[in-house]
Amino acid sequence: MGLLNYITATSLDQDYADVAKSRGEERKDKPRLPGMIVLGLFGALLAVAAIQTASNQSVSASSHDSLVKQINERKTDLGEQRARINRLSRAVTAQQQDFLTATSAGRGLQSRLSDLGALTGAEAVTGPGVRVVVDDAPNASSEKQQVHDVDLQKLVNGLWQSGAEAISINGQRLTSLSAIREAGQAITVDYRSLSPPYEVSVVGNPNDLATRFIATQGGQTWLDLHQLFGLKFDINSEDSMKLPAASRLHLRYAHLEQTRQTAR
Amino acid sequence: MIAALGLLAGILLGLFFRPAVPTGLEPYLPIAVVAALDAVFGALRAFLDGIFDDKVFVISFISNVLIAALIVYLGDKLGVGGQLSTGVIVVLGIRIFSNAAAIRRHIFHA
Repeated sequence: MGLLNYITATSLDQDYADVAKSRGEERKDKPRLPGMIVLGLFGALLAVAAIQTASNQSVSASSHDSLVKQINERKTDLGEQRARINRLSRAVTAQQQDFLTATSAGRGLQSRLSDLGALTGAEAVTGPGVRVVVDDAPNASSEKQQVHDVDLQKLVNGLWQSGAEAISINGQRLTSLSAIREAGQAITVDYRSLSPPYEVSVVGNPNDLATRFIATQGGQTWLDLHQLFGLKFDINSEDSMKLPAASRLHLRYAHLEQTRQTAR
Repeated sequence: MIAALGLLAGILLGLFFRPAVPTGLEPYLPIAVVAALDAVFGALRAFLDGIFDDKVFVISFISNVLIAALIVYLGDKLGVGGQLSTGVIVVLGIRIFSNAAAIRRHIFHA
């Protein structure tokens, strides 16, 4: 408490008393010009500080609004850029088509491209096939009565085995590199989580796809799951189905055809 | 009288000209105001005590403002600017309060 006492005791500068003592008691000093200037300085300081604080306040209030505005502007920018990307990629595809259809070699290449695109999942596919709908058993109480990633993997592998040309699960096109995994409670396909029921759309020959599937190991597994644990498992033929192109498809490896390169 | 005039003139000048505070000095403005307030209250008390001196006031005002700003500047450089400004404000605040109490005793005789 010594410090606090000291501060209160010497709250008035000692100099005032000292100077007054040396000057003598009889005449009192009044503020003159220097004092006035200093007081003016003090007033100016007060005014400037007040203005500064007020303007800072408005800045922090308006900064929120301006941030919101900026976010919206960037969002519209992003939307425009995305639209431009779509437009450009459509233009590229159109040009590619034009270029390929111009020559007979190009036409051959194009038919090969679309065949490969259908198989790899790079292109959307329409055609007849089957629709397989699987789901957990009603009122599933145990783990065994639920659909797991392994079950879906077996289903999909069985379908590939029985001659499926293209498969999508809940609208997610599968490629040769697609991963079907379990993350927490949900099954993910290419890291996007699905929600049951799982609808597996398959393009292929609808007449023998189902019968061939039943003969595969995956088909047997699913028959067992259906009969023993009551998992939902329906196969229906469809006349026409539209499967989207895969969303995650990157070019990983490419090389120039040697003959072409030397011909140029 | 002349003091009130000076104060008023200063406030008006500040409001009128709105001098832009450099960004580097901005953090020291509030501390400078508190230090100046301390000097002014001290001067008012000295005036009422009858021991006011113009020269002492000018010197105490300027040195108060400069030293307060210097301490905070030093604190900023050492990374304890916030704590040091709190310390300066506490000390100056105590002084302002005790000076204000003395002034009150003079005016109201209570």
